[in-house]
Amino acid sequence: MVAVPDGGVKFSLDGNACTVEMRDVAVVDQPRWPALDSLATPARMSFKIIWKSNGQSARYEDASRHFRFSGTAATCQLEAQVEVPSAGFSWKSDPLETSKCDFAIIGDEANGRYYDS
Amino acid sequence: MTPSITSCVLCNRRDILKASGALLLPLAIPGAIHALGDQSATTANGGTDPYPIPWLDKNGSHNQPAGLNLEPSHIYHFKGRVARCSTFAGMGTDNKGNRIAFGSATTDYGVMQGEYWAGRTTQQGAFTHI
Repeated sequence: MVAVPDGGVKFSLDGNACTVEMRDVAVVDQPRWPALDSLATPARMSFKIIWKSNGQSARYEDASRHFRFSGTAATCQLEAQVEVPSAGFSWKSDPLETSKCDFAIIGDEANGRYYDS
Repeated sequence: MTPSITSCVLCNRRDILKASGALLLPLAIPGAIHALGDQSATTANGGTDPYPIPWLDKNGSHNQPAGLNLEPSHIYHFKGRVARCSTFAGMGTDNKGNRIAFGSATTDYGVMQGEYWAGRTTQQGAFTHI
């Protein structure tokens, strides 16, 4: 998990769409993760992800774990570029419109100390 | 991008502190005792890093799956907007022209933007799981 700099994430005013875009994020390439002896190599990643609500209500709540999510199911697509300089490797995805995922949600959540407020 | 590429800037800071605490303690005690009278009390949780989900990840890696009825956020004591996704599928090309697919059932992303509690006060921020 990384902090997103100002302007890196944009939710639409109605909360039904979200775009996250970051460039040259420091990551590690660990082909054998989660093996304990997995070698980690410094890498960089740039990406853009777009969520769009499909209007289908989604609400998850677990009082025992103090979390509540209220939102909708969504579509989500991404494009990305990865560089592993020490390995002389780079990779770039096809355009965002060509990707797909089977599960996506967008909405509001409160958990922990905010769950009861 | 792929499940094999992970990032954990925030948890690394906590992990390093946890791991180094036991090693530093024997060396730090004499100095700490000497300094007690000169310093005001500080909070134990003085950092602004967000808390991980406590029952999911005691190592603080903030990592958890995405799916139906699962908590979308990666951080605890949080309220705000979230978006999660998983099971990506797509294609790409490497620098040698090889076509390489990406995505699996565990290829997931997430973003959280809003208020969270850390350092014994409210914080504002945005975080992404990639």
